[in-house]
Amino acid sequence: MKHVLDDLTAYLDGVLGARERAQVEAHLEACDGCRASRDRLTGALSVLTRLPHAAAPSAAFERRFYERLEAERRGRPERPGLRDWLTWRWAAPALATAAVAAMLVVTTSRQRAHERALAEHLDLLENYEVVASVGAVETPEDAEVVAHLDQLEGRR
Amino acid sequence: MASDPDAALMVAFQGGDERAFRSLFEKHGRAMVSFCHHFVRDQARAEELAQDVFLKLHRSAARYQPTARFKTFLYRIASNHCLNELRRGEYAGRRAAQDRELAPPDPDTLPAGTATPEDHTVARALGGAVEALLARLPEKQRAAFVLARLEGLPYDEIAAVLETTVPAVKSLVHRATVAAAAALAPFVSAEDEVAT
Repeated sequence: MKHVLDDLTAYLDGVLGARERAQVEAHLEACDGCRASRDRLTGALSVLTRLPHAAAPSAAFERRFYERLEAERRGRPERPGLRDWLTWRWAAPALATAAVAAMLVVTTSRQRAHERALAEHLDLLENYEVVASVGAVETPEDAEVVAHLDQLEGRR
Repeated sequence: MASDPDAALMVAFQGGDERAFRSLFEKHGRAMVSFCHHFVRDQARAEELAQDVFLKLHRSAARYQPTARFKTFLYRIASNHCLNELRRGEYAGRRAAQDRELAPPDPDTLPAGTATPEDHTVARALGGAVEALLARLPEKQRAAFVLARLEGLPYDEIAAVLETTVPAVKSLVHRATVAAAAALAPFVSAEDEVAT
């Protein structure tokens, strides 16, 4: 005969299926030991219904909670992620603008350095109207060639 | 979950309605103190723990899924928080001292007429016996017992709260109830044993 001790609490709590319940009841009819165990469990469950209610929270409980909540709010975003979202909402376009501006500065400064190099050799161009008129001088190397055109001509 | 008004309040709070959160606190705050008290058996600490639970609820509102019952979500936070509290080292010594104070009552010292529920002395003794019982139960059994016997949650909800299976809950509740039957025997009358 298989005892049903392990199922007694579930049986008393009414959570067994119909078949299991029928098996437990059939066993209880025949087993004094399991019936005694059932009665002890039933007694304990009945006693627990007479347990006095827990003491009410102190008067400060609610006030103290809202104080803690307020203190915590001051130390963290108002709503989860809201501060982050606000930060990125404004920071992202600003960062993009800054990146574009930086690229422009770098590009412009490189262009200006090139122009400055050409300007340093402008005096050389004054004596070579033909070269200057075709706009062939674009780089410092071109200017160097122009500076020595007379030598080139001398070789011809 | 349209049939759960607390779930609706939680959804409203997720949408930014702070009054909905206040309603939840007003409705469940007191019960939460009682729940936490079953674990720490200290009124002031139970109040702090209950506040912690609602602060966590406030913080983790975004994680709440309306498909779950609000009470399940709340008790999950509370159970985890209370069990963590019990695991803290500093609590171990304090609990041992309390356990000595809350030894099971000697049946011979109980006043006559223990079957009378109106008797305040018996009620206090019964409260002490249950506290002593809870103190002796292993953590998970204690949580399952409190949720089933003192908070009235069904097995499937306890399984959801403790993140375990219904058969596991069945076993936890059974073992704790067997322990309760032994601890509370002095309070049981003949009428209790036939009250099913």
